[in-house]
Amino acid sequence: MTDKRSFGEKLSPRQLIEIDACTQCGECLKHCPVQMVTDNPAISPPAKIRLFREFLRATDGIKARFLGPKVIDPRLLEDFTKAVYECTTCGACGESCPVGIFTQRLWPTLRKELVERGLGPLGPQPKMPGAIERTGNPYDKPAAERYAPWFPEQIRVAEQADIGYYAGCTGAYESQPMVRGDVLVLHATGVPFTMLPPEEEVCCGFPLFITGQHEPLAGLVKRLVEGYRSRGVKTLVCSCPCCVNIMSRDWPLIYGKELPFTIRHITQFVTQAFKEGRLRVRREVRETVIYHDPCYLSRGVDVIEEPREVLHSIPGLSVLEFERHGLNSRCCGSGGAARKVFHANAIAMGRLTIDEAVAKGADRLILSCPACYAKVNEAMQGYEKQIRITDIMELLATVVEQEEHR
Amino acid sequence: MSTVIIVATYAVIAMFYVRLTLHALRWLEAAVRSPTGRVWNTMSTVRAVASAALDIAVLRRLLVVNPALWIGEWIFHASLFLIILRHLRYFTDVAPPWVLWAQMPGWIAGFLLPIALAYILGIRLLTGQERFSSKANLLTLINVFFIGATGLLMSTKYPVDLVAVKLFALGIVTFSPSSPPQSTLLMVHLALVLGLILYIPSHVLSAPFVMLDARYRDRERQEVMHDR
Repeated sequence: MTDKRSFGEKLSPRQLIEIDACTQCGECLKHCPVQMVTDNPAISPPAKIRLFREFLRATDGIKARFLGPKVIDPRLLEDFTKAVYECTTCGACGESCPVGIFTQRLWPTLRKELVERGLGPLGPQPKMPGAIERTGNPYDKPAAERYAPWFPEQIRVAEQADIGYYAGCTGAYESQPMVRGDVLVLHATGVPFTMLPPEEEVCCGFPLFITGQHEPLAGLVKRLVEGYRSRGVKTLVCSCPCCVNIMSRDWPLIYGKELPFTIRHITQFVTQAFKEGRLRVRREVRETVIYHDPCYLSRGVDVIEEPREVLHSIPGLSVLEFERHGLNSRCCGSGGAARKVFHANAIAMGRLTIDEAVAKGADRLILSCPACYAKVNEAMQGYEKQIRITDIMELLATVVEQEEHR
Repeated sequence: MSTVIIVATYAVIAMFYVRLTLHALRWLEAAVRSPTGRVWNTMSTVRAVASAALDIAVLRRLLVVNPALWIGEWIFHASLFLIILRHLRYFTDVAPPWVLWAQMPGWIAGFLLPIALAYILGIRLLTGQERFSSKANLLTLINVFFIGATGLLMSTKYPVDLVAVKLFALGIVTFSPSSPPQSTLLMVHLALVLGLILYIPSHVLSAPFVMLDARYRDRERQEVMHDR
């Protein structure tokens, strides 16, 4: 190891205590989706923490302080990097941790440390900052195609409005039925809403944050916050769990002060619209569906009841639950920016979700995350078990009464 | 030999205090909450602290995820607590009433502790969790088992001179050390205890802090996107 900087530099004092507090009990393993599909102890949370403790001892231990930092086997660092990036950061390990370690935040922080050392990110991830700088999105797709392929022609957005809508890159480029559904439902509430022009609606920063590439974050956040502020936005609505997570938890820290607007997930906005009578369902759906909680929506920001309230507002719809749901939901495999690097894992995890949904006898699998939507659909290609996959707003858009028909 | 034992005892205790101080400094550094500037009301703080106290006292988080392991772990931790309480009679000139109260429960706990440890190890081996565990963890578990076993042997089959034990222990805490009693079993017991103090798993010092932090975080999560 040529880099002799402290391994604890990027970690907060609280995270250093968390590293210390792991009892190595292994309870988290029963909930780790990566373990379920790989059964590889080397990439388990206790193994990662154990190894990181060794690194900390090598650079910060009492011996290191007196005799200088120890050389770490580069192969060990390489294995550690792979283990940290193979994680989907779903946070199920932290939720089941008998001590309560906040792993959904710990693993991304370790990635930041690895990026500083030139060990991460992996696969196509290093291309993301450049792509975002060029096109505004991590997929390197033209900004002109951000809304055009899916945005409903009949709907006009306001220049200025209290409500702002952020589509998000994954929704706009990879899960278009989902964002189309969002816009149709927003329109159906009759409340004017505004959006940034496609070249201005840049990445929220989550893919960079989650891969440990923090440098461009401040610029992106400032640009977006100022953009919505100039349009008079008081509430910013978004359907992507990863986007709402970084917006509500990290944007204030990155922006340096309280945001000039409130962040709400679209299901929260819709639930409110139902309560206020601004949204009405015009027909029933006689189906049995199963709802999957996205990790960053449930474990991330505690939006658990609202999606269920939305589904229960559709007459005739019967809603099933996965064995693991709510705060304990199982990752569908697409989280943590690992899906493009560890593709086989992601597909295997997606198929676990499909298996359970089929076994429970659901007619449809309801998702509310664009990454889940894209990956679980991909996991179903060529798979013997098939189920209809629908986004929650995609479904609602088919049954709500549009404003012009009232 | 006596001098070696006394010096080793003081050295281990001193190292433990250094470690404890370093941990305490880190706790203080980490105790600065809420970088977002969220202001906690008294009720939220009381609720979080009460919840964390319950988590620590009954290992509630473990109960939720693994009731079978929990029963063994809880008996082990409760037994260890009672045994430590019982041992305070050696370190106090006049044992306070609560230490005297703890004598019988502590004696019973002496039997329960090795059983609980064997049960924990059995559960972990049966469920395959042990393969994810570190060797240091296993060694600590075995060490505590033998501490319990040697202690049990002294309180049942091979009694030691308790007056001499008390003089030695009291001598250590009052910095006027006297020779340890002539008992091989006691020396083995003491050596194992010193080994445990030296290599005490760091989670013992850190986990309670994290448990409290987790309860604060749970409330933060509920509030981050909800008006509550």
